[in-house]
Amino acid sequence: MSPLTIIFLLPLLTALVLALIPRNFRFSIRGLALLAGLVSMLIAVHAFCKFDGQASPSGFRFEERHAWAPGAGISYHVGADGLNLGLILMGAVVLFAALCVSWRIHTREKEYYILLLLMGGGILGAFASLDLFFFYILHELALVPAFILIGVWGVGKDKNYAAYQITLYLSLGALLVLAGLLAVYLQMPGASRTFDIVELTRYFSAHPMQSGAEHWIFPLLLIGFGILVSLYPFHTWAPLGYGTAPTGAAMIHAGVLKKFGLYGLLRIALPLMPDEAQRWALIIAALGLGNVVLCGAVAMRQRELNMLLGNSSVAHVGFAFLGIASMSLIGFTGAVVVMVAHGFLAALNYALSGYLREELKTLDMDQMGGLLSRLPFIGTVMIMAMMAACGLPGFAGFFGETLVFFGSWHRSEVVTVLAIWGALIVAGVYMLRAIRSIWHGDKQWPGLSDVTNPWRRLPYGLLLAALLVFGCFPRLLTDNIKASVTPVARLMGEEIAGGGSVLKVYGLNSFSPRHPVEDNASGAAVPGGPHR
Amino acid sequence: MHEPLHWLILFLPLLAAMVITLFLQRYPRCSAALSVGAVLASFLLSVGVLAEFLDGRAPDIALTWLQVGSLQIQFGLHFDALSALMLLVVTGVGSVIHIYSVGYMRGDPHYARFFAEMSLFTFSMLGIVVSNNFFQMFVFWELVGLSSYLLIGFWYQRPSAADAAKKAFLTNRLGDVGFLIGIVLAWAVTGTLSFAGMKDQLLRDPTLFNTTATVVGLLIFCGAVGKSAQFPLHVWLPDAMEGPTPVSALIHAATMVAAGVYMLCRVFFIFTHHDLLVIAWIGGITALLSALIAVQQDDIKRILAYSTLSQLGYMVMAVGFSAPPAAMFHLTTHAFFKALLFLGAGSVIHALSQEQNIWQMGRLRSKMPLTYWTFLAGTLALCGLWPLSGAFSKDAILAAAWEHNKALFALGELVAFLTTFYMFRLFFVVFLGKPKSDLVGHAHESPRIMTYPLVFLAAASVVGGFMGITQFITPQFSPASARLPIFAPLEPFETSPVAALLGLAAIAIGFVAAYVYYAGAESDPLPGKMKEVCNVLRHKFYFDEFYAGLVDVCQDKPARAINLCDIGLKLLVRLTHGTAEWTGRVLRLVQTGNLQTYTLLLAAGAALVLYFMLTR
Repeated sequence: MSPLTIIFLLPLLTALVLALIPRNFRFSIRGLALLAGLVSMLIAVHAFCKFDGQASPSGFRFEERHAWAPGAGISYHVGADGLNLGLILMGAVVLFAALCVSWRIHTREKEYYILLLLMGGGILGAFASLDLFFFYILHELALVPAFILIGVWGVGKDKNYAAYQITLYLSLGALLVLAGLLAVYLQMPGASRTFDIVELTRYFSAHPMQSGAEHWIFPLLLIGFGILVSLYPFHTWAPLGYGTAPTGAAMIHAGVLKKFGLYGLLRIALPLMPDEAQRWALIIAALGLGNVVLCGAVAMRQRELNMLLGNSSVAHVGFAFLGIASMSLIGFTGAVVVMVAHGFLAALNYALSGYLREELKTLDMDQMGGLLSRLPFIGTVMIMAMMAACGLPGFAGFFGETLVFFGSWHRSEVVTVLAIWGALIVAGVYMLRAIRSIWHGDKQWPGLSDVTNPWRRLPYGLLLAALLVFGCFPRLLTDNIKASVTPVARLMGEEIAGGGSVLKVYGLNSFSPRHPVEDNASGAAVPGGPHR
Repeated sequence: MHEPLHWLILFLPLLAAMVITLFLQRYPRCSAALSVGAVLASFLLSVGVLAEFLDGRAPDIALTWLQVGSLQIQFGLHFDALSALMLLVVTGVGSVIHIYSVGYMRGDPHYARFFAEMSLFTFSMLGIVVSNNFFQMFVFWELVGLSSYLLIGFWYQRPSAADAAKKAFLTNRLGDVGFLIGIVLAWAVTGTLSFAGMKDQLLRDPTLFNTTATVVGLLIFCGAVGKSAQFPLHVWLPDAMEGPTPVSALIHAATMVAAGVYMLCRVFFIFTHHDLLVIAWIGGITALLSALIAVQQDDIKRILAYSTLSQLGYMVMAVGFSAPPAAMFHLTTHAFFKALLFLGAGSVIHALSQEQNIWQMGRLRSKMPLTYWTFLAGTLALCGLWPLSGAFSKDAILAAAWEHNKALFALGELVAFLTTFYMFRLFFVVFLGKPKSDLVGHAHESPRIMTYPLVFLAAASVVGGFMGITQFITPQFSPASARLPIFAPLEPFETSPVAALLGLAAIAIGFVAAYVYYAGAESDPLPGKMKEVCNVLRHKFYFDEFYAGLVDVCQDKPARAINLCDIGLKLLVRLTHGTAEWTGRVLRLVQTGNLQTYTLLLAAGAALVLYFMLTR
């Protein structure tokens, strides 16, 4: 059995088992949930260390495939390449950390852990799936618990509105994606129709979609996935939803679930419709800039910590969009690094703000100040996390963002300059102001307690360590990622030497690029314009 | 030396910082010992590198940090005359200041954190020095900014320190934006990030950058403007004096702020003559502005901070005159005497229970003789009195100015006069005259662990001119130049007598002026004589007020507008929600559960259908 199957099935099955345990066995419920998260994470770490894209003929490692509904072309198919491997690792770590920090939940513990496990397992499964059916269904499975988690365990007077808003918004996004995916499916000739992503990609790279269809399929997928990732201007659900969600749910939602849309764009929309993607590149870049600069400016105005973190999180996914919009190997690689790094970072930030919310009973930054002397551990970790959020080297996000800058320069200098401004100045301003008003100053706080128990420190340490490890040794991520996004970048007309056997996946070994190779000058002159 | 030893130069301080943070928070003595040990070991290893370099065996080490497509990023150690000199300055002066801090910070509740952050700074600074490519330099550039932020805000409970830290970080970031854009642009044109690779390409094809040549240079220079606190981004450095005094000495005088100058020398090949003209003028303006402001400051550390700005202006100006060796020479001697002056000021502040206003001091000469004599040596060296070290390095810069730009030469001489004036103002008020507060009565000389570093630095400031620094560094920038004699005490007077003699005259005038106004003064006589001018100087030319307005107009107001748009967007979403709900409520009215109503509606519907069917 593929380790990927275990990674996502274990939390799901544990959720089922928990349903059978009486609710007063509180210790066992929490213990079992933690154990499932831990094992799932350890297997993910093991798989990450063992991964070697070159070793397998298909480029996908840990592949497993069973026919499930052959008539409809649906099969159970999982596999990992550089694109989803890091996301699966990140998701498993965040799930475990989210389970760890949930020790303060005392109402309806059983249901809480069941839902959290469903959410985590579902999204891990969606990342691992190479079949559109499971890809979509497992993501839906992860979406539903968010609604209940916010509605029941949420905090704040807006929680009901937030629960409905986030669910309706995301259902709308998912619906558009569903329509787009079905349309893609129907583009294949009747006999060979399949939901298998690998086969789909192979088919469409040999038989480009008829021009009429892709004109409306791509926007459907772009907007659908965009809503799921809070692309500007469909972002307003995110800050409020995360702000009211219970800590664990916010961590998984902001950290892991949100990456699904970006993953979908890179895995499905771009490889299947490269020409259309090029046409939309400038619009994607403009909207991504909307995230980076406009949501960053909104974050500057927030006085509530969770709203600030929410807007900051929205701003950060903008870098991933800019990376995608660059339609280049460097940009794609940067986008995936941003996705992984931001997953760890958002989860860490929400874990910390959740702790503050429990201790202070408020997240109003005007009432805070001087907390560092009282909460040295939480404070130090959060200052580091906030520094990571304003793109400090040493943390994983830095490499992601700089790769995006390098990648998008040839597309558009203006976009790159604005993105650099957003990363260095806008993010710097709101994060430093937040550090100043929360942690620095001379206000006294009797009666607060810091996290001193090493076990309680574990989740924070784990997420921080992940940020630092990938920030100091980015090749752990980029070497795998670049191998997997090279074929996509080739489809965009980029000439890339080497690449290894991964290309076989997309059937490109015997396939010459459809675009004449362009020089950089003309590429920069018509950013995102039609390329033929 | 074996290769791992070279890596240790860089990573020993980082290791110390990590070990202290993770394990030694509660063991102040251990952490101090570890931090001092790390920087001392780095110093000894740097001496080893120097020996290797003189033998011509210095290695170039590079690992691939990241490689994606055409972007290749290395992590390397590059040793040449420039980096060897800078390594020695950073670790040498750093060691002295670390030892001094052991005494100065004694009793602070966060003693261990202080040394962890100092070690982190040493690591980041050494990273800049040994970088062999732009990207690595930028990484450490940012890390240096971080450690500076942490150390300025070391006493974060003080609102002023916390604000100063934030200001320093963000102002530096402004420069970094330009720096990063410049790096990306340079990479996009040349396809490489390594200094050597880029230099080779430029040598082969000087028109490589085409129309962007000047722009690239200016963008890269932005980084130096931020880090070295040049006009117009100079405002953060005086505020940075909120940090502990050893931090001001190490970071905001001797090393970090000099990183900008070091970087300019490192990438000197990239600048066109237009760039160099801009660089020279920015340096000159900074030197003059800050020397003027220094004349009317009352805080002992702020006077020294403005003096640092002014001297950094000299160094940047020297780069603008295509004289990187003179810049590096002045950087080195300045590191000695400015560190000495700051540590001396720290000794005074320590003795007067943290009092920093010079008008609360006076007659410390008899109370603190060692501090007095070493401070005098530092002051004279800073003013550039022959044969102390400052005379040689400053004359090298003024001589270059004489050759290139007479206007800037005059400006440089004016700054030399102002330097002597404000330094002796400080010196007379603090060490001579009458005691101006009761604090002076309780003052006593600092402990030996603090005075020995003073003596050591004073010795270096005195003989620094004879160490052969120019002779060591010049061949890297002009390989064809004749070999200079190592010991040449009269060299300034021979090569450029005008500059040297005018320099001496400026010192003499400055000294006399300071003596007339401040020897025995109880309070500052200048504001009485030139009220308007002094007011402007005391308000530092109103830069802070101007920038506060600028930030409000360019950042906070737009942010407010964007936030309003965002709220509008949210209201729009609520409107959809409201419409759906309202429609539901209206339709619900129909569902009364009353059979008669349903029958009535059924009949009405049937009538309607019949009407349409029959009238068509």
